[in-house]
Amino acid sequence: MKFLKSAAAAAAVAILPVGTALAGGHGAALIGADWDAVVEQARGGEVNWFLWGGADNVNRYVSEYIGGIVMENYGITLNRVGLSDTVEAVNIVLGEREAGVTDSGSVDLIWINGENFRTMVQGDLAFCGYTQTLPNNELVDWDNPAIANDFGVPVNGCQVPWSRAQFAFAYDSARTENPPRSIAELIEWVEANPGLFTYPAPPDFTGSVFVRHVFYHAAGGVENLLGPFDQALYDEVAPRAWEILNAMEPNLWRAGRTYPTSIAQLNELFANSEVDLTFNYDPSQFGLAVEAGQYPDTVRSYGLADGTIGNTNYTLIPFNSPNVAAAMVLQNVLLSGEAQLHKALPSVWGASPGIEMERTAPEIQQAFAAIERHPSVVPVEELVRNALPELQSEWISAIERGWIENVGR
Amino acid sequence: MSDRLKIVLLLAPAVTIIVLLFLGGLAIGLMRSFNYMPVIGLTEPNFDAYAGLFTSREFYLSFALTFHIAFTSTVISAVIAVAAALLLRRTFLGRGVINFLFQLNLTVPHLVGAIGILYLFSQSGSFARLAHEFGMIQRPSEFPALVFDPYAIGIILQYVWKEIPFIGVIVLAQMQALGQDFESVARSLGASRWQAFRHVLLPLIFPGVLSASVIVFAFAFGAYEIPAILGQSYPAALPVLAYRQYTDVDLAARPEAMAMAIVIAILAGVMIWAYTRLTRSSIRN
Repeated sequence: MKFLKSAAAAAAVAILPVGTALAGGHGAALIGADWDAVVEQARGGEVNWFLWGGADNVNRYVSEYIGGIVMENYGITLNRVGLSDTVEAVNIVLGEREAGVTDSGSVDLIWINGENFRTMVQGDLAFCGYTQTLPNNELVDWDNPAIANDFGVPVNGCQVPWSRAQFAFAYDSARTENPPRSIAELIEWVEANPGLFTYPAPPDFTGSVFVRHVFYHAAGGVENLLGPFDQALYDEVAPRAWEILNAMEPNLWRAGRTYPTSIAQLNELFANSEVDLTFNYDPSQFGLAVEAGQYPDTVRSYGLADGTIGNTNYTLIPFNSPNVAAAMVLQNVLLSGEAQLHKALPSVWGASPGIEMERTAPEIQQAFAAIERHPSVVPVEELVRNALPELQSEWISAIERGWIENVGR
Repeated sequence: MSDRLKIVLLLAPAVTIIVLLFLGGLAIGLMRSFNYMPVIGLTEPNFDAYAGLFTSREFYLSFALTFHIAFTSTVISAVIAVAAALLLRRTFLGRGVINFLFQLNLTVPHLVGAIGILYLFSQSGSFARLAHEFGMIQRPSEFPALVFDPYAIGIILQYVWKEIPFIGVIVLAQMQALGQDFESVARSLGASRWQAFRHVLLPLIFPGVLSASVIVFAFAFGAYEIPAILGQSYPAALPVLAYRQYTDVDLAARPEAMAMAIVIAILAGVMIWAYTRLTRSSIRN
């Protein structure tokens, strides 16, 4: 069917003028509708959920746990479509919009945030204004600016929070005694330990976050960088950041002549002792890597004294999803206290909830409070003490491009 | 049913797919490469993406690297494949087994081969570990950089490993069809073994070697997955660079990605044209 659909889409574009007027798709009537009616319409439906598929535990949680709930309670079939980069799903929706596919798109839900969300807004590709309709929406703290804004872009009812994450570093305590605990220390550490540090080259998501930490350091704090993109300010700060990173380069892995191109590659280098430090936007991954035998159990993770960057990630329904009702029911399940609690269990995933756990039922709150953390995963309380905000997407694009031009080549 | 109708009907499925998917995709790609993308407000076609491409140093570096990868792997594979075919056409004990082993690679996907190269040749791979075991190196960084390296050694190794049996099988089939009569005549007239090979056998099998080589070259030139897995971060092979642009979060970068894909397609077309010219003239000679 997919094949036929794309053939039809290609044919439509080849024959018809591009950019026909677009209708609102299936969803408009569901906004503000009675929830029982939405559930009734969703029953027996099918949801194609496109999401990053690089972690087995996440895939299992989605396919087996969530897939099981929606099948059992609503008869909804959940098709998990694994991606290596979320932008692939964005490109599909974009291509469909160009081809004039307004109500029979192939994507029903995307796990998304940041720049990709901005692209969806930029291209008018998201289904919006429906979040109030979900009963579990009341568990979400929309008054928190870190949830109401996705990398500085207002969410405006176009997506629903799923998890929160904060960047952390990791090292092997059996191999490294005193890992650097601030960006300033890291700069000295790299000089004293040549060849034992590197980071994935932006535009890799995680590598890009690392570069932003250095950028914040060069700016003398993130406070100066908040708000809309400011070219003059960028021109002032950027040369300092590139100077730091270029000075670091000869002491990086492979003397900085090449960089890993993905976080998976950096993790591999760390696991094989080629480098002594790694990092992740989702610290629970360290515990999982230890459990999977990829890292020794002496691996420990930590935040920086000058803070690490945190963000919220979301699920979004594209404007042309043919299964809006089923996707909404799925989102409602994802927001539920039970699903968020299950997701927070270290043995399952260990992801921080996207909802306020204090608003859930007492027994769920108790179970959540009783969760034991993995010794390799830095406690959330310790991390959030020094949480730094993400920048607006224009900033991030400019920094990534600047890195490629001034450091990467 | 007339023959003509039969031909049309039989060809229809293949032609439909080519016209709709290939030409349709190409047409969309062309439109986007000309900055025509109404969905993000680009409605005035222009050549900006191509101008940007041809003034970018990275593009030329990537082109040079991609050409190096494709050319070097093709030449090495072709030379070894011809040598292997010369050995395999002889009769010897266990020839069937050797022949089977020789062709085994053909069934292994490129991606699997690339992961294998990574496990064997990276600085923390099996060979590095062996070297460490024997005290030849202390740290992973002392092992020579064979993957993610500026000379693309890992990528070329992978292609050579995979393409030798491909060219070899074609050449071997050709040699067996020719038989050894021509060479025997040459030898009986006093040619040395080398002369018999160089002046008799090689010209006869050359078209086959050339056509197999062009397939290998065009494939290596346009392939994404091997340089993506085994390549360095900068400069990257052209297809990797194009994909990187295509997945840039800024929609405005899409035209440049499309322009690059179109250029890769045109270069591949030019190379196939050059090949047909070459083979035709070599057959005439």
